[in-house]
Amino acid sequence: MAQYSAELDGVFVALADPTRRAVVRHLGRGPKSVGDLAREFPMALPSFMKHVRTLETHGLIRTTKTGRVRTCVLNRERFGILDDWLAEQRRIWEERTDRLEQFVTDQEDSTP
Amino acid sequence: MNPDLDLTLSRIIRAPRATVWSAWTNPSSLAQWWVPAPSRCRVDRLDVWPGGAFVTRLSDDGVDFMPHLDACFLAVDDLERIVFTNAIDSTWRPANPAPVSMTATITFADHPDGTDYRMLVRHADPAARAHHEKLGFTDGWGSVAGQLAAFAERTASR
Repeated sequence: MAQYSAELDGVFVALADPTRRAVVRHLGRGPKSVGDLAREFPMALPSFMKHVRTLETHGLIRTTKTGRVRTCVLNRERFGILDDWLAEQRRIWEERTDRLEQFVTDQEDSTP
Repeated sequence: MNPDLDLTLSRIIRAPRATVWSAWTNPSSLAQWWVPAPSRCRVDRLDVWPGGAFVTRLSDDGVDFMPHLDACFLAVDDLERIVFTNAIDSTWRPANPAPVSMTATITFADHPDGTDYRMLVRHADPAARAHHEKLGFTDGWGSVAGQLAAFAERTASR
């Protein structure tokens, strides 16, 4: 659970930055080389590479190197972690409501 | 209400509204249902008024109690509504609970069978942004144009 929430935190942090969200949008249309991607953003390549590495570290993209070209691909499955988290929150609140219901109905039964 | 991010829940509870309200607002009652067994809950603060502290701790062994919730009530309407958030902690310090902060609104109304109990949990922005990005690319990917573009780009990059 701790591992899972650390991963989730990482995904949220990675997507908190507008440049990185824009990279995700670009890659949503298909794989792209780092060079092609970098041209879309008004910043030096080393700065841009930091963003790419952050996205890769948190599993939102994968990169592969062929010759001198590094290609970025969106890791779609990774975004499922958000749905998993929401489902988990729903489960927590539903079970909590079950317990509340049980608690108050038990009280009602025990009062004459 | 954002259906992709916010949780809603409603339940008809077969007990009078005053009983359900008291289960929420009485510390020794809350402690009995707030966390799942076998964990134990200790209610440190339950100041059920606007700005009041809401602090619970959790223990797996009944000895050591770890931080669980450190929140603040935003609105309290007697027997009708409780609103609390963990975006501000019990000392009113802005907080960044992991992974995102939330505001929960719980409403209590009379119902012929007991209490109409509803809750809405709103999640903070990072979740909204992440979801927005996800929707953006799933829509694009799902469309024929998106697939064609992706295919063209893959072919071109070979």
